[in-house]
Amino acid sequence: MKTIARYVVNGEPYELAVEPFQLLIEVLREQLGLTGTKHSCGVGNCGACTVLVDGKPVLSCMTLAVTARDKQITTIEGLARGGELHPLQKAFVEYGAIQCGYCTPGMILSAEALLEKFPDPSEEQVREAVSGNICRCTGYVKIVEAVLAAARGNERSLDR
Amino acid sequence: MSEDYHVVGTRIVQPDAAAKATGQARFAGDIHLPGMLTAKVLRSPYPHAEVVSMDTSRAKEIPGVAYILTPWELGDWNTFDRGMKDMPLVEGYRVPPEEGVVNRRARHFGDPVAAVAATDERTAEEAVSLIDVDYRELPFVTDAAESMRAGAPGISPHAERNIAKHLTYPFPEGDVEKALAEADLVVEGSFRSGKQEHCTQETAACVAFVDAGGRLNVWSQCQLAHLARRELSHIFKIPVRKIKLMTPFVGGSFGQRGALCAEPIAAALALRTKRPVKLVFSREENFVGLESRTGFDDITISLGFKKDGTLTAFKTNMLGRLGGYMGCGPMASVIGMTLSMGHYRCPNRAGSADMVLTNTPPSGAMRGFGNEFMTFGMEQLMDEAAEKLGMDPVDIRLKNAKKAGDTAALGLKLESTYFEDCLRVGVEKFGWKEKRETPRSEEGKIKRGYGMATMSHCTGAAPLYLEHSNALVKFNEDGSVDLTVHPAPVGQHIWGALSQICAEELGIEAEDVHIVTGDTDVTLFEYGSDASRSTYAVGGATLRAARQAKEQLLARAAGMLGVPAGDLYLRDRTVFSRTNPDRSLSIARVCYEAIYSFGGKAENFSGKQSFEPVWNSPNYGAYFAEVEVNTETGRVTVPRFVTVIDCGTAVNPMAVEGQLEGGLQQGIGLALTENYVINRETGVVETTNYDSYKVPTAPDMPASEVYIVNKPDPKGPFGAKGVGEPGMVGIAPAIANAIHNAVGVRVRELPITPERLLGALIPS
Repeated sequence: MKTIARYVVNGEPYELAVEPFQLLIEVLREQLGLTGTKHSCGVGNCGACTVLVDGKPVLSCMTLAVTARDKQITTIEGLARGGELHPLQKAFVEYGAIQCGYCTPGMILSAEALLEKFPDPSEEQVREAVSGNICRCTGYVKIVEAVLAAARGNERSLDR
Repeated sequence: MSEDYHVVGTRIVQPDAAAKATGQARFAGDIHLPGMLTAKVLRSPYPHAEVVSMDTSRAKEIPGVAYILTPWELGDWNTFDRGMKDMPLVEGYRVPPEEGVVNRRARHFGDPVAAVAATDERTAEEAVSLIDVDYRELPFVTDAAESMRAGAPGISPHAERNIAKHLTYPFPEGDVEKALAEADLVVEGSFRSGKQEHCTQETAACVAFVDAGGRLNVWSQCQLAHLARRELSHIFKIPVRKIKLMTPFVGGSFGQRGALCAEPIAAALALRTKRPVKLVFSREENFVGLESRTGFDDITISLGFKKDGTLTAFKTNMLGRLGGYMGCGPMASVIGMTLSMGHYRCPNRAGSADMVLTNTPPSGAMRGFGNEFMTFGMEQLMDEAAEKLGMDPVDIRLKNAKKAGDTAALGLKLESTYFEDCLRVGVEKFGWKEKRETPRSEEGKIKRGYGMATMSHCTGAAPLYLEHSNALVKFNEDGSVDLTVHPAPVGQHIWGALSQICAEELGIEAEDVHIVTGDTDVTLFEYGSDASRSTYAVGGATLRAARQAKEQLLARAAGMLGVPAGDLYLRDRTVFSRTNPDRSLSIARVCYEAIYSFGGKAENFSGKQSFEPVWNSPNYGAYFAEVEVNTETGRVTVPRFVTVIDCGTAVNPMAVEGQLEGGLQQGIGLALTENYVINRETGVVETTNYDSYKVPTAPDMPASEVYIVNKPDPKGPFGAKGVGEPGMVGIAPAIANAIHNAVGVRVRELPITPERLLGALIPS
């Protein structure tokens, strides 16, 4: 039986009818049309479906939608503000950290959660923070560079 | 940069990067249409079985089930070869079309036997689980040697003793047996490799619908879009003009999307229901239902040398494990044996391969396409020879290096090679001599080792495959350009590279070039993106088309400026006179005047050119690995890795680095962790997700350094060659050679798991 659940998604309040078995990823993608959150392994191994729930990275393919009720949810669509890319998005673009782009939303949100906690992380901390996010294109090199650059406020640097 | 380029060679950001960073980029699975159904596939739980009967009555009773496709409801649809080689593409080479949209006879675990379209995914899943199937299990084989034996269960009527293809080395030379007999030194080895799954982060997905005009619309991930349209036309007996095939963003390919994936089932259900249908594979389905890397049960290589290290003979016999259908897999042998000799002179060469059907998931192309396994063997044998001859591994490779003007791997004249530069740069940057020669303390369980390997690969598959690219360049009145092309946007930064090539020729900025793509109604024929060909071949067509448009623009500008066209050149969005630098016009002004000219002289500058590569400029690489081997656990880590590449001109060095860094992740996985396990007793695939199939994550990756030789090739657009696959090819042998340097043993089977390495370290 469906229940009514309240969420604040990317700053917007929603009241949604959700099934008890429905996953957060399904609500985000299918009910709200927020398809930036990606489905990949389906069992919490790859991090493609990562979103932030009250600022913490959560695997939305492993999370029942009802358990996230009354919480603040941030998806990749919620990072850019007023037409300006978020510093992490900007750094990912500028540093070539995006190839096919499928892991990118989850990767950026994992990095965002890290930078909230540790604004000036070491390379090891960055690697560890995205260790649950599989990327098959980049070898993680430019992803780690981009996160470090965003942390330094140096998200635009093409003349290395 | 050896040339004075303004756009080519710069680290531009990709035109599609912002869309991907914000979640706006639309992948196949993100497409939603009104009234859309969701499809699910019923797959065989047995490696070899006949579907005797199928009862769908319980499944049909579930509300929301729209259609159930069984093998009895395929009508007059054709069977197909998902590798799309059942129709002319490779001269004299055909693969029998043996696969149905769903199959009555399952040839491998995971072979589709039925499919459901329903209002939502859960309903479709439930319906699939309620289809009652009466299977008759058949005897099965999982390895190639067993499959070839007399009395083994037959898999295909087109493959006697299950040998799908017996292929020979296409460019034999000399007398290899005589050369081996006369050699001062012969080194030989037998190597073995499992499958590797591409693990594209987006799984296979397709959306299809029949529009009001009766045309089949398909969003396909296929990296060979026009061939996919042709194949769908063939399967469903629909004329090509009634199919519109669109390419959305594709979440990785690495060769897997060179074959049909989710398209046939999604299209079939759309045709039957007349409603939009979406089919997205689960990760588990990706592991068993798609072509993955062709495994080899045996690759035996013999090399002959003179005392001074000169390579005199190369002979190989390969035994490949194809899986239930032939698909693209057989060519992995020919590609491998051919390209692995791309960088060494050798006067006596021979090789053959038996590519054998087995009751395992099908095999096809993955980055390297056989060259990675052949090179894994070759490069270890080169090291063995060097050791026996008392040479440095680098020197034996330099000794045998091909030179420009030699015959290249694919039988063509070698236009350029900077292989020796790759080695020199790598030796210096890695610190090869110091690292190899400094004595190491042998105490403790962790042993450190340093190894290297080299490789050569291709730029496109010509002349083996028939290839053809087209580009359309059109100037707009603001001086910008629409470039219509159809390479696969699988993450290789191809749109950016093409915009740079186009902009360089036209004296504009890369951001002035808008890529029009992804719709077979709009794009000219494009063979597609495989074999590291897009920058070279689609780039070649782009350059020619740009040149054609440029001539029109210059002619017009010449009239406007009153100078001869030959005196003009384009730069900074401006037409300049060489002889009179004061005479100039903005490109936008020339374009505007040409388009909005009402005196009978209106003109839209445009170029349309074809490019059919008759050249194949090989790329070269040198790879240097540092490893740590834990002699107690058998675990190998790679703290540092140096890659040096000759890919001609790096159109965008950042994109080139990205290819090589990404190839390193896949190469380390192939070398050490990615173990695709098929249970020999049951034929069941045991590794179908990332919990059991381990791909390297960020903490597993070495400190990676990439160096680009960056010297132009005479044939490629602005000197570019391909670079997609090289990232992968030399990794595993460099690691294997480093392991040998650390602990003195060789594991000749990939991946080099802790069990295998301990097995080699502790003789039983």
